[in-house]
Amino acid sequence: MLYVQVLVNGLLLGGLYACIAAGFSLVWGVLNVINILHGSFVVLGAYLAFFAYTALGIHPYLFAPIAALVLFGLGYAIQYTVVNRVIEAPVLVTMTATFGLALLLDNIMLVAFKADFRKINLVPPLGVVDVGKLVPGLNVVVPVDRLASMLFALLFVALLYLLLRRTAVGRAIVAVRMDRYAATLMGVDPTVIFALTFGIGAALAGAAGALLSPIFPISPLAATSYLGKAFVTCVLGGLGSVSGVLVGGLLLGVLESFGAIFLGPEHALTLSFSVLIIFLLFRPSGLMGKRGFV
Amino acid sequence: MRRALLLGGLAVLALALAALPFMSGNYLVRLATIAFMYVVLASSWNIIGGLAGYPSFASAAFFGLGAYGSAIVRAHAALPLAWCAGALTASLFALLIGPAILRLRGHYFAVASLVLAPVLRELVNGATDLTGGGMGLTLPGSTALSVDATARLYYAVMLAAAVGTVLFTILILSSRLGWALRCIEQNEDASTVLGVNTLTAKVAAFVASAAPAGLAGAIYATWIGYIDPTDVFDDLLSVKPIVMAFLGGVGTIAGPVFGAAIFVALEELVWRNVLNFHAGILGIIIVCLLVFIPGGLGSFRHAAARVRALASKQTNGTARVRSAA
Amino acid sequence: MRFLRPRVGAMLRSQPHRRRMLALALAALGLFLASHVQAENSAIRIGAPLPLTGALSPEGLKLQQGYELWKDVVNAAGGINVGGTKRLVEIVYYDYQSATPKAVQLAEKLATDDKVDFMFSPFGSGATKAASTVSERYGIPTIAPTASSAEVYDQGYKNLFGTFTDNSTLSEPMTDIAKAKAPKVQRIAILARNDLYPLALGQEFEKSGKKRGFEIVYFGKYAINTLDHASALTEIKGANPDWIVATGYINDMILIRKQMADLGAKAQVVTMINAPAYQEFIDATGPLAENVTSATWWHPAEHYQSKDAFGSTEHYTELFQNKFKSLPDFTNATGSASGVVLQMAIEKAGSTDRAKVREALAAGGFDTFFGPLSFNAAGQATSYVPPVFQIQRGKAVVIYPDAIKAGDLQLGVQ
Repeated sequence: MLYVQVLVNGLLLGGLYACIAAGFSLVWGVLNVINILHGSFVVLGAYLAFFAYTALGIHPYLFAPIAALVLFGLGYAIQYTVVNRVIEAPVLVTMTATFGLALLLDNIMLVAFKADFRKINLVPPLGVVDVGKLVPGLNVVVPVDRLASMLFALLFVALLYLLLRRTAVGRAIVAVRMDRYAATLMGVDPTVIFALTFGIGAALAGAAGALLSPIFPISPLAATSYLGKAFVTCVLGGLGSVSGVLVGGLLLGVLESFGAIFLGPEHALTLSFSVLIIFLLFRPSGLMGKRGFV
Repeated sequence: MRRALLLGGLAVLALALAALPFMSGNYLVRLATIAFMYVVLASSWNIIGGLAGYPSFASAAFFGLGAYGSAIVRAHAALPLAWCAGALTASLFALLIGPAILRLRGHYFAVASLVLAPVLRELVNGATDLTGGGMGLTLPGSTALSVDATARLYYAVMLAAAVGTVLFTILILSSRLGWALRCIEQNEDASTVLGVNTLTAKVAAFVASAAPAGLAGAIYATWIGYIDPTDVFDDLLSVKPIVMAFLGGVGTIAGPVFGAAIFVALEELVWRNVLNFHAGILGIIIVCLLVFIPGGLGSFRHAAARVRALASKQTNGTARVRSAA
Repeated sequence: MRFLRPRVGAMLRSQPHRRRMLALALAALGLFLASHVQAENSAIRIGAPLPLTGALSPEGLKLQQGYELWKDVVNAAGGINVGGTKRLVEIVYYDYQSATPKAVQLAEKLATDDKVDFMFSPFGSGATKAASTVSERYGIPTIAPTASSAEVYDQGYKNLFGTFTDNSTLSEPMTDIAKAKAPKVQRIAILARNDLYPLALGQEFEKSGKKRGFEIVYFGKYAINTLDHASALTEIKGANPDWIVATGYINDMILIRKQMADLGAKAQVVTMINAPAYQEFIDATGPLAENVTSATWWHPAEHYQSKDAFGSTEHYTELFQNKFKSLPDFTNATGSASGVVLQMAIEKAGSTDRAKVREALAAGGFDTFFGPLSFNAAGQATSYVPPVFQIQRGKAVVIYPDAIKAGDLQLGVQ
């Protein structure tokens, strides 16, 4: 029964990881930019949700789309004004540039919000579902807030999928991802598409932050942890696919959960990074990797 | 004429560096020692990152391994032996892991090298018997020397390490390996056609990059006298050398040296004048640097032109096609 | 192929702007030296490297509040009485960005460049230990406000004096109370952060528990930056403990408490150290904070009458609230206590001579609002009993020692 609970824990955690990683994967896949800012975007989304809840009483799940909208604006602006200028440069340059931006944003948040850890306490709390009561003999509990956050995150990822598949903008993004030169010839302006993509990536991060605000403590210091999870999730699942993010996140969550049981909690992180290196070596495209981000 | 100027300049610099520890307080000596440490890190990164063009974030891993290697050996052996042990530990690690991760390119290599330090940090944290885990390791201090003498000793040792690393880079650059690395940097697939054994060359560069970084970690450990995993496997130790190399000019010999010196001075300046927003300002400096002077300060003229171009009109850098990483 | 080989000389010469770079470097150096001039004054200068940014910034800011309050009170009274003449206090702060090497570097800067008379250690056991080599080398009496692990003081240094008693003084009374007030408690589960101080504390609880015949049913370590404790807590739940002990920093404790509730991991006694001493923990966990026990080196509910600048714990708390509009916690208080103990040592020595102040510190016998402070031969405080408290109805209520207790141990958590 322990293992069933651990599996459930892992899947729920994995859902949250997918939620954190979706925007990161999109930006990496389409722009070929490793966005170190991503973790800070998630934290900013969480802060916005925190203040919306404590000051205005807006539920973080309702606030998630608003956080997404705000972060979209910020992301679009950052890409248009800064990142677009170095987008043609090698990996290191774009990565270091976003690292510099992350230093800046983290420091701004540190000064503005202080580093004290905060968290949203939903009143009333969402509680837990005791599966044992529904299915006799199956003694497993499921925390409702994690489940709800995961489902909402899936909703956002599904929306992203539809956006990419069904709209002109989405098709333009996919086109740029597949062949930038050809897309330019077809009349697509990559500069705008890049900014849109970066904005959507930031929006997903903002929504994720809002959804996670009742679950994880909020602080600028959490940014690097989120970024690390996004990294591993993307590599495990494969870049450039919505399903890859989901599979990667779930795989990572389950791996960490069982790793903590068999190797001890102190080695969960080591395990996930080791698996990441193994994946890079033997299956660099990840489990579901393909071009085009759909 | 230029050669004479260069030699004269070098002579003056050498004289100034030799005089510094006797002319100033211990803090300035310490700051200079740190600058030398970063010269070692930036120059050694330059071997794999600049010459071969492989985006490595492994400096922190090498540095930390060097620190722990020397700290463990130092318990039983003299200082120079401990330093060698540090360099050796890092090189061996590079030799083992290099052939695996150097098959990867671009982003994938960057990510693989980036996670080395966190993995090692956790492993070192877990190996309590050998490393003291989270308790860290305290190294025996050199009680025989006075405060000033210790400061000067480490100044001299770190300076020697920096000069050694620069000479080592020159040596590599003028060797067949240097040529092979340049080929790889230009076009890895084509260099195979030219008869370059790319994997061997890359591993050699990786090891050559690891040894000085490990040495820096080793000297650092004996200098500070206390290390713990979060300090010596700090991710910033991977990022800063890259920024320094960019600041001075990637792939050149003098670039990382000047970059490190300027970066340390800038950091000190910002940090002194802004009590709790220095990280933010550092971020702004990094971004401006990359946006306006991507070739480093060595390419200052282009930067001025670029600033003018930006001021007059939005850049439209979309027509060019970048080869996929 | 030889013609492809680049010549080094050519590479060196291929940088026509070297001179410009040199000029820039020199300009930066000049600016840096210019900002270097320092004013002479007769104030007593104390160096304080603090983590004002980075991972430890919440604690760094709290310590700074503690220092500032002490400084303000002393300077308002005209300064420290040094053998009849009053001298003002000046604290030189530097931010070491939560990076230990930088803390050591700054300690050296304070010692040589700023020529401070005395020093306060950086935050936490690890950084204190690393920086203590500097103050020892320069012979600067240094007060360590936040180092509790005995390993910090085992180097035979003469200049380090810590206000925190050993980690075991937190685990021992707590285990006593559990033994006395919760007779059904038999099985302990311990989850400790794999980091210098929290791990040492976890091990102290293990020792204290075993000594009293408790059964340790689980001992787990979690890595720094762990985002999920579900597996460990699921195992703990399966081990069916009566007492769950978790150690770490405030973010870890918030997450662990939340996930305990998520997974239904309950116990009659839940102890978390040190987070519940901070109001932020109670705010962030809400009703889940209820009945969590903790131990800490100081609590505003104490009432020491003192011969220091503050007069009593109550007065200290009042002054702190007036200045910062919040209740002081143990980190604020130990900052102020470090100042107080240094001041009393200077006044006792009647001089700012380092050797005399060091002697006065070693002699001990300081009655402070923080408690009576005396140090053992290694330099760590041994002279007071840290209180144990429990969160009851959203407030921290002291349950030990008996002299100041305001309530009794309540069993069970949500």
